[in-house]
Amino acid sequence: MTSAVWAVTGVLFAAGLAMVVLRRQLLAMLLGVELMLAAVNVALVHHAGLFSDAQAMAAVAIVIAIAAAEAVVGLSLILRVLRAGRGVDAGGLSELRG
Amino acid sequence: MTLWAVILAGAVAAAFAGVMLFSRSLYVSAVCLLVVLLQTGLIFLLRGAALLGFLQVMVYAGAVMVLVVVTIMATGGEPEAGFARFADFSFPRWLAFAGLAAAACEVALTLYLGGASSAPVSPADPAMAAGFSTALFSSYALATEAVTLLLFLAALAVLPDKEAA
Repeated sequence: MTSAVWAVTGVLFAAGLAMVVLRRQLLAMLLGVELMLAAVNVALVHHAGLFSDAQAMAAVAIVIAIAAAEAVVGLSLILRVLRAGRGVDAGGLSELRG
Repeated sequence: MTLWAVILAGAVAAAFAGVMLFSRSLYVSAVCLLVVLLQTGLIFLLRGAALLGFLQVMVYAGAVMVLVVVTIMATGGEPEAGFARFADFSFPRWLAFAGLAAAACEVALTLYLGGASSAPVSPADPAMAAGFSTALFSSYALATEAVTLLLFLAALAVLPDKEAA
């Protein structure tokens, strides 16, 4: 059971990391971050089940809430970038403007 | 006996994560992420964390993924050539059939395990549930308050500003 869950966690995290690193679309990068957070949650829940660690379950609940807030803020930022006509790729956001 | 159900859910999640990584269509990637999140919710349920599984399905697979898909669809009508990936809403049939077959296998496995002597889902430990709530509002109280504030600020982020209006 443990090795199977760790393998799933590793594959999901690697896929999310590859999405963030390899793909240039902002939305795809956001989806990759969500995938990495889901992988971390799987590892934490498995840890909580193994060691009866309630703190890990509380951490998962907080991670889920943070991920929801991160998704909302990220999507609103992406929509704002699209409306500003700066493209859909991360390459168009190489400069900060005050 | 939950091992095979966890392995099946994990394999489906890993397969759809791979499709999500290599698909050029953002719509396909978003729907694949939805399947991955549903499978991780099932793993939570099988590992005895029923509340977290329901939270995962409702918050992640429900609200957040609907937001993502609606955002992709809302930006799909832009005329620029660079937005072509946003306008592709076709979903591969073989992938849909594979997802449905996996869901049917998981239901059958759960029903089969439910008919067997051992329970398909690990029962939630009452002491664990009590410890979960205690941790959330004692040692994690500051983090819980911070997350509440963060969610409020995230709600403000979606409000249109005067310039955009």
